Amino acid sequence: MELLRNGVFRTLWRPIVNITRSVTYQYHADKPRLVRRYGYEEKIWSGGLKPRSEGKPLPLPEYRPANPWTERKSLFGQNDYIDILGPGDLHPVKTLYNVPSWIRGVRGSEYHILLRKRKMWARSATPSLRPTKWKEYEKRLSFLYRKLNRKTKTGPSPI
Amino acid sequence: MTSTLINVFKKLNITAVTQIRLCSSATNVVSEHRDISVIKKDWKFPPQYTKPREVWIENLDTVKENKLGLFELHPLIYATVPRIDLIHRNVEWQKKYRWVSWAHTKTRAEVRGGGRKPWPQKGLGRARHGSIRSPLWRGGGIVHGPRSGKTHFFMLPFHMRIHGLTSTLSAKFAQDDLHVVKDLELPTEESEYLIDLIKERNWGPSVLIVDDTDYAPRNITVATDNLPYVNIMPVYGLNVYSMLKHDTLILTHAAAQKIEERLLNHLHSNTAIQQAKFKLDQV
Repeated sequence: MELLRNGVFRTLWRPIVNITRSVTYQYHADKPRLVRRYGYEEKIWSGGLKPRSEGKPLPLPEYRPANPWTERKSLFGQNDYIDILGPGDLHPVKTLYNVPSWIRGVRGSEYHILLRKRKMWARSATPSLRPTKWKEYEKRLSFLYRKLNRKTKTGPSPI
Repeated sequence: MTSTLINVFKKLNITAVTQIRLCSSATNVVSEHRDISVIKKDWKFPPQYTKPREVWIENLDTVKENKLGLFELHPLIYATVPRIDLIHRNVEWQKKYRWVSWAHTKTRAEVRGGGRKPWPQKGLGRARHGSIRSPLWRGGGIVHGPRSGKTHFFMLPFHMRIHGLTSTLSAKFAQDDLHVVKDLELPTEESEYLIDLIKERNWGPSVLIVDDTDYAPRNITVATDNLPYVNIMPVYGLNVYSMLKHDTLILTHAAAQKIEERLLNHLHSNTAIQQAKFKLDQV
């Protein structure tokens, strides 16, 4: 019975089969190229690493090697060991002639250095010759004093 | 000729070993051959654990090298372990202790103008501003910019500087870049002579000549005048940076002795004063 029904079904129902060409690689290769935006000239360089090769060159300065044997450079450091190799009565800090005397051998923050500058210049002609500069030193000093003493947090208290 | 020299050398070494160089008295042995003077020193601080290093005394009055004698150098000064770290710290110190940065920027208080409120606080639909010299503005003041007179000063400890010198001298000596000459007398004042001499003896491109006195002989000063890479220094001007900048170090006999004497003296004396903390008002 079952077998008979199957046989009838097969004879009555035939599916429609369209036989199509299989899509190959050659099909894609033979397709005509689609030109996008025909007539438009691409203005952005997309040919790789070649920045600004056309037109103006990069503004690189001409290489001028410095002379390493100027007098200042060739004798740099002379007399730095004068307290060891010399008679012993002269400290090397005293030989830093190209550094202004008020800052020779000084270290400290801006406040310390400015304090020392004001102290050492107070007796000179600077306050009367350069009053604006002098006023600025004073103003900066008072600002730094307030900042360091009233507005800067100190570390935790020992107790 | 060389074999006789080697014999002289060997004899010297044998005598040196037998005496152990501890209490050798000053003897000036002039060998029969070639008038080479061999100077044995009367040490104030005799070398204890290592033998003194011997060095030729050369001449400057001919282009060709002539060995005038043998001379002993103290191993504590010229043959210590070359501590490269100490040399580096010395050079860094030399650069930094004189370095003052004068870069300067103006704060909003120092830039000209800016006292007036540019526009009313409210009612214009614009941002509120109190000064045209505020750091937000173009042409305004700079916040946390460099302030003039920034120093990088510090003093390297005394003995670190001494050992910087001995390390550099030892490195130069070990690399055959340290030569001892008898004196600085040149026959001419031509620069060409000095250039030929330096080339003949393979003294590197740049030469540092150290003499005992402040005044070098006229001929050598004129000859080095237009040679920027040949420089003359007195003993007290010698320093680690210059020794490294110049390829070859030429010491006169007297200068070598003086450097040795000064450094040994410091190494064997109480240097509490020099080691004390640097105080600006006491130097």
